[in-house]
Amino acid sequence: MVGPLSISFASYLKPSRTLSRWIKPIANWYADASGYRKYGFKYDDLRAFTQPVLRSQSIDQSFMKIVVEERPDVQRALERLTPREKYDRAFRLKRASQASVLHAPLPKEQWTKPEEDNRYLQPHVVEVMKEDAERQMWDTAKVKRS
Amino acid sequence: MLAARVSTAQRLARSFATVADSAGLKVAAVDRNQPTSAVTILVKAGSRFESKPGVANALKNFAFKSTAKRSALGTVRESELYGGVLSASLGREHLALTAEFLRGDEQFFVDVLSSFLTSAKYTRHEFEEYVTPLIESDAASLAADPATYALEVAHAVAFRSGLGASLFGPSHSSITAEDIKSYAKSAFTKGNIAVLGSGIDQSVLAQLVEKSLGSTPASAAASTSASSYFGGENRVEAHGGPQTVFIGFGATGAPSAELAALAAHISPQASIKWSQGISPIASSVPHGTSVQSVYLPYSDATLVGLLVQGATSADVKQAGKAAVEVLKKAAAGISAEELKKAVAKAKFSAASALESRDGLMSVLGSQVLAGAPSTLEASLAPFDKISASAFTKAAAALVKGKPTYVAVGDVTSLPYADELGL
Repeated sequence: MVGPLSISFASYLKPSRTLSRWIKPIANWYADASGYRKYGFKYDDLRAFTQPVLRSQSIDQSFMKIVVEERPDVQRALERLTPREKYDRAFRLKRASQASVLHAPLPKEQWTKPEEDNRYLQPHVVEVMKEDAERQMWDTAKVKRS
Repeated sequence: MLAARVSTAQRLARSFATVADSAGLKVAAVDRNQPTSAVTILVKAGSRFESKPGVANALKNFAFKSTAKRSALGTVRESELYGGVLSASLGREHLALTAEFLRGDEQFFVDVLSSFLTSAKYTRHEFEEYVTPLIESDAASLAADPATYALEVAHAVAFRSGLGASLFGPSHSSITAEDIKSYAKSAFTKGNIAVLGSGIDQSVLAQLVEKSLGSTPASAAASTSASSYFGGENRVEAHGGPQTVFIGFGATGAPSAELAALAAHISPQASIKWSQGISPIASSVPHGTSVQSVYLPYSDATLVGLLVQGATSADVKQAGKAAVEVLKKAAAGISAEELKKAVAKAKFSAASALESRDGLMSVLGSQVLAGAPSTLEASLAPFDKISASAFTKAAAALVKGKPTYVAVGDVTSLPYADELGL
């Protein structure tokens, strides 16, 4: 899997009511327990920022070259955020950096609430990936005229 | 031989404007057996109808971006595979979306054109990534071309709102993709659209249009308040280009053949390149200075004038003086031979415009949208009816109005309107 998005089974699990009923509480618990919300992050901030660092510990060094944010497609997706989203994202990154300097999570009222933790970046990344795939399709298309 | 000629003449007369109403849309087609076809969708969405300065220009630049059917890239690649050319052009009254292609590919290209009208997405990222650079390059090309710039300013001075709205976007605009979307939604309705084909069978086109545009919302055609002519003077500082002066007069009401003849009379352009014309202006213009006659007819107004361009302000002043003198003299009356010459010149340029695809589309298009398509003969007939008295009357009434005067270039040395005798 060499792509800007991390591996996800959500698309397989969501259609099944039983499975998602079982998995969802665990997933919610896991998201909370992973601790990024205590630093005011949203999940999409991580995928593009912290996660590659975590990845590099477990995955081999060649993977480091395609760290998620440093890809042209994700850069294009980031450009597509509204000015407000861009500002808020930069603010969250700065606030979390400061918390990291202080070696302490943020005060509890500044933690990200589960309902605020939306995927604001992912749709844009998916869109850009689709565009790139289409470009590749046209670049390699074989034309048959009937 | 004669029989063959007669049949072509009949064919031309018959096929000049076969207009049909297809599902509430006006479809006109001309087939002159060319090897290529062209389909133009003409929308009453020119700059005079725009809701915000520059929106019409932005909509033009949004043409052929992603729709529900195909992405912007898909449109580019697919039409390239078919060997067609897609273009969009904006006038003060109409937005024209044109596809030119080989015969037989009409199904695809009508679909490309109509899917922009029915299902364009107007996404924010496309606006920022593709459309804004186009708007900026349009504005940059305007800044680099003093002749076009002078005409833009002249329209603003002459008509203020409506026809005075610029074809180009303002240099600092606050247009968003949402503005363009709502403008397009209000413009792309049945009453506003005419589909024109050339080199394509009328019934085939009507069928394709009915299928792809039949579901366009029906609503009344766009309307604006009738144009009124104001006139005035404006001077704009510009660098790098030639010194430019526009001297013009405007008239309201439907454009008349008399004014076209007046524009042809004052035009110093020779019929043969590099020779001096017999126009009275041509002999008194300094070497290296150009004088072009400008005749811009719109549905309810006309702008007639002269565009003077030269290297120095002194040359422009001399040429401008000569131009004003000739314009005033023409308004006082011209000799019968001069009138005959002017009418022939005007009729030729009108007739040869109908020969070309672009000219035909613009003439036919506005007639079709107005609901009264005429024949080839009828559109040239007014030129034969011009009389000396009607010509003098029209010219005198025009020149009696307040002049529109625009100077673009070195404003400290370019002449003022009164210095040219206006």
